[in-house]
Amino acid sequence: MKRLGARLLVVAVSLLILWAAQRLLEPKYMGRVVEGAFIGEYYQEHTAHDVIFLGDCEVYENISPVVLWREYGITSYIRGSAQQLIAQSYYLLEDVLREEVPDVVVFNVSAMQQYDQENESYNRMTLDGMRWSPAKWKAIEETRVSDEHMVEYVFPILRYHSRWQELEDDDFTYFWNRRQVSHNGYYMRADVRPAGDFPTARRRADYSFDERAWGYLEKMRSLCEKNGITMILMKAPSLYPVWYDEWDRQIADYADEHGLAYINCIQAVDEIGIDFSQDTYDGGMHMNVYGAEKMSRYLGPMLQNVYGVKDRREDPELAAVWEEKCSYYDVCKAEQENEFAETGYLSQFSEE
Amino acid sequence: MLLISYGFGLFLAALVLLYYLVPGRFQWVLLLAASYLFYLIGGGIYILYPMATTVSTWLLARRIGRITRQSKEYMRKQEWTRQQKKEYQLQVKKTQRRWMIFGLAFNFGILAVLKYTNFVLGNVNGLLRVFGADGEFALAGWLLPLGISYYTFQSMGYLIDVYYRKYEPEKSLARFALFVSFFPQLTAGPIGRYDQMNEELYAEHSFCSENLRLGFERMLWGYLKKLVVADRLGPAVVTVISAPEVYDGIYVLLGMIGYTVWMYADFSGGIDIVLGAAEMFGIHLAENFERPFFSRNLGEFWRRWHISLMTWLREYIFYPVSMSRAAKKLSELTGGFFGKEAARKIPVYFGSVVVWLTAGIWHGASWNFVAWGMANCIVMLASQECAGLYRAYHKRFSFSNAKGYRYFEMIRTFFLFACLEMFEYYSFGNVFLMFGNMVSTARFSQLFDGRWSALGLGRADLLAAGVGILLMFLVSVWQEKGRHVRRTIEEMPWLLHYGFIFGMCMMVLIVGVYGHGYDASQFIYNQF
Repeated sequence: MKRLGARLLVVAVSLLILWAAQRLLEPKYMGRVVEGAFIGEYYQEHTAHDVIFLGDCEVYENISPVVLWREYGITSYIRGSAQQLIAQSYYLLEDVLREEVPDVVVFNVSAMQQYDQENESYNRMTLDGMRWSPAKWKAIEETRVSDEHMVEYVFPILRYHSRWQELEDDDFTYFWNRRQVSHNGYYMRADVRPAGDFPTARRRADYSFDERAWGYLEKMRSLCEKNGITMILMKAPSLYPVWYDEWDRQIADYADEHGLAYINCIQAVDEIGIDFSQDTYDGGMHMNVYGAEKMSRYLGPMLQNVYGVKDRREDPELAAVWEEKCSYYDVCKAEQENEFAETGYLSQFSEE
Repeated sequence: MLLISYGFGLFLAALVLLYYLVPGRFQWVLLLAASYLFYLIGGGIYILYPMATTVSTWLLARRIGRITRQSKEYMRKQEWTRQQKKEYQLQVKKTQRRWMIFGLAFNFGILAVLKYTNFVLGNVNGLLRVFGADGEFALAGWLLPLGISYYTFQSMGYLIDVYYRKYEPEKSLARFALFVSFFPQLTAGPIGRYDQMNEELYAEHSFCSENLRLGFERMLWGYLKKLVVADRLGPAVVTVISAPEVYDGIYVLLGMIGYTVWMYADFSGGIDIVLGAAEMFGIHLAENFERPFFSRNLGEFWRRWHISLMTWLREYIFYPVSMSRAAKKLSELTGGFFGKEAARKIPVYFGSVVVWLTAGIWHGASWNFVAWGMANCIVMLASQECAGLYRAYHKRFSFSNAKGYRYFEMIRTFFLFACLEMFEYYSFGNVFLMFGNMVSTARFSQLFDGRWSALGLGRADLLAAGVGILLMFLVSVWQEKGRHVRRTIEEMPWLLHYGFIFGMCMMVLIVGVYGHGYDASQFIYNQF
């Protein structure tokens, strides 16, 4: 019996070592690339959200949930990651519904243009952060690239083992706890790089979206309908990649057909008040914090007045939680503004 | 299905579990089904090739066996003189030989057509170009069936053994099919002999944790060699040897050493995985390597390297050829001109040339491999010719019997083998050019002129490969002293034993080169 106990202890220690090695080798996304940490941060939320935003960089860089709260009392969260595919957005919605049922889901339609993943690392940034559930399993199955294996998601050490050669201070610093890098899923950038010239839009032979993308849009709509959620389709005001009129028409037709709202922010740039010489940090592809705040001020009244999302600022519990979020947001914004004013760039995101 | 794949791990684990759950008499049936499934997954429709070899060899061996049985019975009933019996036996043997040759022609024919057609067409096209002919033959786009060289050689060895009445032919087609297609050895050998395998292959095996443990440890060792050493060195070695115009001087030497270490780690690692997997089912396949780098001369080296192939070539080519009528005629002819001594040697020379020609062409359908085989043959025969000189030398100089001299001989053999390997990757003319270049221009400073950085081998990689090579060396030294490494580790206190295994697992898991972003290179010897 004593011998068996000793052996079990040794096996337990081995598993612990294995776990520790895996934890150490997994990327922490605490440095220049932080996008991989966004999806996982959702699970640290203790309060429900009235609005959930789904999509790729066009949502997590263009909308500020803190402004939505501070100015309209709307609780929201962005479940978005780099190059997040529509299938992944759908399964993230399923994942959200395990925790809460929001009043409104806003889906950014740019993901309709590309169904298959180009780069495995984008998949990892979205899927690694998801908690294990049937939704995560299905998301991996549906979107993994040809040489990705499910077992590498179950045991990430099989994927990240080669990082033993490139371990950094961050891997040890954030071994146990990781710092919060997003603001309810929002990726803050307070630097400014005015929009420049983009390549001329190339004509395409075929403007139709992949049938599978339509299938997931329909699944998302059905899921929202089943759960009594209002679904809104949105196209963020990014100047590039190009959002063709032909694509716009197809989405507008779909929205009409199913009685959904479709907000194409590209057509409302003036109304939103976006100044592409000030409100973008990468030359017009994504908004900086000033543009994201303007976008939030544009969406806030709409969510409240048209879709009846409540102002919850009077709720003391929520107010306390969001007060903390607002303070953190302000501190981060001030730090970035100061650094940018002093140096002309943000060191965290700079390659130098 | 690659031996280095998650699928193989899952396949093996499920099969081992099932194997010890099914009644013993069905275990070999399960192995047969699994082997065919393994082939179907890896080779698809190409499974028809090993099936054709299985059926044809089984039928012909049965036919030859039946003739032997019937002739014996017939002779027993006859009251013949010794001479009559001899004549009848010769007649019988002639008939049997016809069947055997038919089997060899059919199966080696398949191998030859699939593996060497493009080689032949390429040469014919070259000749046509030389003679100014327009047009050329289009090359065939055939794929090579998985493990064709291995299962063909194994089956033909069986057919020849039955012909020579070394054992009775197998009665059951299904059992014979398992012998031909036993999945662990299908992709990288070793080439097995029926009389050495049949007992364990079809026997009932009750669950034995030791088999599982030892098998797993052997596989782990193979994965360490393959993933930590071979696949780490492989890409850099390929870069060096495939660009002689860039990598000259000291890089020729590094390429030579790297290629040899890479090939050994890759091939012997694969064999360790194969042997370990088979051991899990209680089946002990023949060893294919016996620490070849401890050999003191090339002859010994080839008795320790790819043992199953070299044994096959010795038994089924060297002996029959050197004792053939053609060899005798050649011997008589030579004897007339050069005397008795030369006549005595000719059959051996003749047999050696055929063996090395076959060995060369077996390794690859190109003139490189033919040149490699012939180079080995020349060195082997020359060293045989100098045997008297060596003896005198060792007698005259006592230091040549010292331990230190033995180490020198081992290093010399390593470099001799590595030099001969150059024929495999450089064109024939380039071998001598590059060798000369290495000798005349190699400088240590060339390692810092920027070419090294392009090889993608950083400090961490060198450290990992170095630790792997050191482990391989230490284990070999231990084995060379007659120690059974796994058993010795097994006998250690439990915690130490466990620590060893866990440490190895962690090394393979973390330091191994595998997974996404890495194109799991096939074992070098899989392509045969």
